[in-house]
Amino acid sequence: MYVTAKVDEPKCIGCKLCIVACPDPNVFTFLKHTKKVSVNVARCKGCGLCVSVCPKDALSVGNV
Amino acid sequence: MTKPMLKMTAAFADVMPAEYVELVQSGPFGKGYGVADLGSFKELIEEHPLCAGCGLALAVRLIMASLPSPEDTVVVGSTGCSSLAFPQIALQNIHSLFGNQNAVATGLKRALTLRFPDKHKDVLVVAGDGATADIGLDMVLHSWFRGEKLATIMLDNEAYANTGGQESGMSPEGCVLNMAPTGKKFKKIALPEIARESGCAYVASVTPVQPRKLEKAVRRAILVAREVGPTYVQIFVPCPTNYKFKPQETLVKAKQKEKDQTYPLREFITPEAQSYLAAIEGGGKRD
Repeated sequence: MYVTAKVDEPKCIGCKLCIVACPDPNVFTFLKHTKKVSVNVARCKGCGLCVSVCPKDALSVGNV
Repeated sequence: MTKPMLKMTAAFADVMPAEYVELVQSGPFGKGYGVADLGSFKELIEEHPLCAGCGLALAVRLIMASLPSPEDTVVVGSTGCSSLAFPQIALQNIHSLFGNQNAVATGLKRALTLRFPDKHKDVLVVAGDGATADIGLDMVLHSWFRGEKLATIMLDNEAYANTGGQESGMSPEGCVLNMAPTGKKFKKIALPEIARESGCAYVASVTPVQPRKLEKAVRRAILVAREVGPTYVQIFVPCPTNYKFKPQETLVKAKQKEKDQTYPLREFITPEAQSYLAAIEGGGKRD
């Protein structure tokens, strides 16, 4: 079973803290038009470091 | 690697790998991107097989994002966890024999200086604590004594994490690991102080908890190594696999150690390097 990070879009404020806390490259993408992040689930290992730094609880780790 | 070399021949564009096309179109070469731009460009490291929540992987990713000129950088690595990540980076990269990284980098830097006398070619040594502080300590120290213009970065995960968890010289006193069941009997090596006394012009110890500080330290180390002398950056990267904590606690552990001074963050700059940095950073120039 695979676990990945998920973004709760309305809660995301685009602070980019998750992007610099993620150990895996090219997982988070910052969407310029909406000022929010999106997760590439194919690359995410589900470690949960992004969840631990998110100030707005917009991220969670769960089953795909 | 210069910019024109990264252009694709139009006729082959449709058969090139998708990752390569992405790197040419939105890669960081010649753009001057930093850690703050992460997430909006294709990163130099493609993917890696390191554990989930690995602090070392995070540090490697931040180092790759903070290079002042990635197109003119050669990375010399050594055996360890970091050597699993380096084959996947889009830079020239040499894997040396365990502990020989600074000796290999010395020859490389001298050759590059002869070949490109009018250009800065950065030679960046990135190795683990075993390669830098234990097995390769003689190579590292002698490259500092000789004043070779290299930037040495140590990814300090405080254990031989790749081989099952033996204690290294950088493990803290009393730590118990898989293959050190009675606890370590002596103190952690004070390598930043040794580096300062051995002739390094710039020495810093940082953690990936503060990415901007890490970026600044790596950038400064590379810039000082271009003109002034050897530099050393030590990055604390907690290892969830060998220190037995959950992968999501990596940054919390690093922050905690930073706070209770068990992993003091230091920065030593010689007056010469200070004036050089003031000259290039004063004008707001990034490289």
